[in-house]
This record gives sequence, C-alpha cells and structure tokens, in this order.
Amino acid sequence: MIDRLQQWLPRLVLAPSFIVILLFVYGFIAYTGVLSFTDSKMLASYDFVGFENYAKLFGLTNWKTALVNLAIFATLYIVICSVVGLLIAILLDQKIRAEGLLRPIYLYPMALSFIVTGTAWKWFLDPGIGLENIMHLWGWDSFSFTWIKDRDFAIYTLVIAAVWQSSGFVMAMFLAGLRGVDNEIIRAAQIDGATGIRIYTRIIVPMMRPVFLSAFVVLMHLAIKVYDLVIAMTGGGPGRATEMPATFMYSYTFTRNQMGIGATSAVIMLMMIFAIVVPYVYSELSRGGRR
Amino acid sequence: MARAVTPARKTVNTAAAWIVALIIFFPILWTILTSFKPEPVAVASPPVFLNFDWSFDNYRTVIQQRGYGQFFWNSVVIAFGSTILGMIIAIPAAWAMAFVHGPRTKDLLMWMLSTKMMPAAGVLVPIYLIAVYFKMLDTQILLTVVLMLMNLPIIIWMLYTYFREIPVDILEAARMDGATLFNEIVYVLTPMAVPGIASTLLLNVILAWNESFWTLNLTAFNAAPLTKFIAGFSSPQGLFYAKLSAASVMAFLPILILGWFSQKQLVRGLTFGAVK
Repeated sequence: MIDRLQQWLPRLVLAPSFIVILLFVYGFIAYTGVLSFTDSKMLASYDFVGFENYAKLFGLTNWKTALVNLAIFATLYIVICSVVGLLIAILLDQKIRAEGLLRPIYLYPMALSFIVTGTAWKWFLDPGIGLENIMHLWGWDSFSFTWIKDRDFAIYTLVIAAVWQSSGFVMAMFLAGLRGVDNEIIRAAQIDGATGIRIYTRIIVPMMRPVFLSAFVVLMHLAIKVYDLVIAMTGGGPGRATEMPATFMYSYTFTRNQMGIGATSAVIMLMMIFAIVVPYVYSELSRGGRR
Repeated sequence: MARAVTPARKTVNTAAAWIVALIIFFPILWTILTSFKPEPVAVASPPVFLNFDWSFDNYRTVIQQRGYGQFFWNSVVIAFGSTILGMIIAIPAAWAMAFVHGPRTKDLLMWMLSTKMMPAAGVLVPIYLIAVYFKMLDTQILLTVVLMLMNLPIIIWMLYTYFREIPVDILEAARMDGATLFNEIVYVLTPMAVPGIASTLLLNVILAWNESFWTLNLTAFNAAPLTKFIAGFSSPQGLFYAKLSAASVMAFLPILILGWFSQKQLVRGLTFGAVK
C-alpha cells in the first residue's frame, strides 16, 4: 500500500500544476480561438461566422498600422539591444574594477515595471521638460527632440525606452556566455598571435550562437507582447501612430466592443509567438537529449 | 577574455564602464531627484540639478491626497499572495520532477515554461468573461489567482532547477537510515531547499509587483495596485511631474532594494534558464 502510494505520489503532486496550466493556458487559448469565429460584440456570442473576422481584421487600417509598428519596433529593439548588450558585456569582461557593483546598475531598468519605465521616459522625452531642457542648460540651445509628439517618429521613442529597459539584461545573458567560453581556446588563439578584436570577432562571438538564439527568442516574445510600455508612454498615439497588436486587441475587445475582432487579433499574436517558441523549445529539447 | 590587462588599460575600461552605467542610471536618478523638487522647479527651464530646496512635500501629498496606501497594500497582497499560492502548488510538483526523474520530465518542463511566453492577450477574454460571470472584477482574489496562474510555470521551473542541485546521495543516505518520506521532506530536503525557495519567492514577488497587463485590465480602483496608480498619473491632467516622480519612486524603491539582492535570480528567471 505504502509502496504503491510512493509510486503514485509524484504524479499525484504534479497533477494540479499540470491541470492548471493545461486548462488556463491551452483551454483559454482554445476558447479565444472559438470566439474568433463568432460575431461576439460587447458580450460573448456563439453565432459562428466562419473566417469573417479574419477577413475583416486584415482589412482594418489600425491592424495594418499595428503590424507595421510591430515590425519596426521588433527589428530595431532586437538589433539594438543585442549590439548594445554585447558591447557592454565585452566591456565588463575586461576585468573591470568593482564589477559586482556595476552589474546591478545595468540590470536595474529590467527590474522596473514597464509602466514606470514608460511614464519616466514619457516625461523625460517630453519637449520642454526633460532631455531637451537639459541640453539647453548645457548650452546646446538649438537641441530639439520632439519625436514623442510626432506621428512619424513616436514609434522610435518606444524603441529607445525599450532598449534602455532590456539591454542590461541582454548584457547579462551575453556576459554569462562570454564567461562560458573555454579559456584554453582563447590562450591557443593568443599563442597563434591573434589580437583582442580578432579573438572576439572570429572565435568568441561565433561560439556564442546559442546565447544569441536565446536572446532573440526572449526579445522577440517581449516585442510581440509589448503593451504596458505603449500604454504608459504614448497611449498608442499620437493618433493611432504607435498602435501595437496588444493595444489593438485591448481597444477592439473592450473599448470598441468588437470582441470577435479582438479575439481574432489575439489568435494572430498567438500564432506569431508559436512560430518562434515552438522551434526554440524543440531545439532546446533535442540539445538536452544529446547531453 | 583578455587575461593580461595593464593597470592603465584597466582604469580606462573601468571609467568607460562607469560612464555607461551612469547613462543607464540617469533616468532613474533624474526621477529620484525630481521627486524632491517643488512642482515649479521640476519643470523649470533651465533645469536644476541639486541646488533646490529638497523637500518631502511631494511624497506627503501623494500619500495623503491620492490614496497611495491602498494601492501599495493591494500591490503587497497581490504580489505576495500570488507568489505564495503559486509556491504551494509548485513545490510538490517541482519536487516530484526533480527527484523522480522520468523520461518525459524535461519535455513536460519545457512545455510548462513555454506557456510563460504566450501573450496574455490570448487568454484575456476568457478570464475577463469568467471574472464578470462570478462578479470578481476588481477584486484582490481575482488578481492574486490570475497572477499566480501566469507565474506558475516560472515558479515550478525555478524551483526545479534549484532542487536539482541538491545531491540525491543525501536523500538515499537518509532513506538508508530509515527516514520516512515525511521526515525526508521536512528534515533533509527543506533545509537544503530554503535558499532556492527564497530566491524563487523573491523573483516572483518582483514579477508580480511589476505586472501591469493584468492589473491595468482587470482592476478599476478597489484592487488596483501601484502599476495602476502610476498609469493613472500618465493621463494628461495638468502638470504634476514632481508628484508623479515621487509616486514612481515609491513604486520602484522596494524593487530596487529587492533587485539588489536578487540580481542573479532575476536574470536566471527572466531568461528562462539561458543564464544560470
């Protein structure tokens, strides 16, 4: 009896977590999927309309704007974060004094809520209050920075804030990667006469491919999910110039009472995430299997 | 890299690293400074750095007039509540996965973890509808449960990685000495697992504290935590830059302090294990 219990116990204690995740993540995703095929407006309805919502969604200017914005935002965010993160990681890897004191400072932005970050940057970039004002103080009178109020440039201010928030954290990932490179290989390269920069570009960075992949997946999924930063910083404005898929989803579901369309946009977002996460999980699993 | 660095070079590098750190820290510093300024000074042109009349007036105003206390209390209840609730469900599960390793354990774990990457928007509508049905919108219970659900995979996964580091030999030795399962868990496992549990707790409190998608969308006032409080300030109702800064500082100060102690766990948790 006790033995049988011992045998079943692991499964028994695992069950709640398993069921909870299955139900609340996949169950609810399925429910969202169902809603995307209905004509739900303010309340959920179960009159199925086929792919009508999908057709409608891709005809909406706001949705197209959201997708274009996501593409701009994600590309710049990932590229700049990776470059800045890598450079800071290499800098920190040069036997810096008091490195332990510095690292948390680089990481602090990541520990803040996107709401706080967004609000702080909103004011900081506001013409007349923050940065512009400081530059004027330092004698640069012609300095002007009005991007956040500009329809064409507001999206880039989101990139600035997001890069500020995440690059320290990307740095931490790269730093761990750098520290993981075998010293023997570096020493061998040095004996062969390779200089510092060459060692980095030819040996170390190529060896960090898995770290780049992880960083890409983490940053990409953050980019697709970006919501609170937009809400705090621009509120999707000026106009709808910084609309993102997540803000679109929210405003169509709750403000415009188009729950069907909202659910459809959520399904599209899910598909984007799946397209990134599934191959990644798969590769991680097969890598783990070889170990 | 760069095993041999000359002292001069080291000083240059250190200076460069500190300059970068200063640039990164500047917006935070600026917010902290602004929070101590009187409102007109906060938006003065040219700006003032340190030579102003430092005062706690903004903090006083925010606490007294804007009901900071209630928001703070909601943040505490929701962040700790959801984490503790999650731990109760996750500890047995992580224990089972770490010590009774099956052929599919790793797959199961990755599957759980991958759900953390899903956009919250994908489950917002169902959760919203259920909350409406049970009349639970804008309650602490709803937020606690929802944030627990969102962070459960990461709690399980973090606990698992910590539990895995506990040497199994010790458990076998305890079993040899005739320890029952109960004794094994209470006297052997728990003391060794405390650091891991504490780190997990810390990270998840931070995550839940910062969470804003759910708190913005599922609360109005009664259960609204600090993220909602800050967001409320960003609506354009005149100028209260200094008060907003004071409110922000009060929202992120606990995190800066916690973050100092848990920087390693933060990276580890946020990168889904890519960095240990």
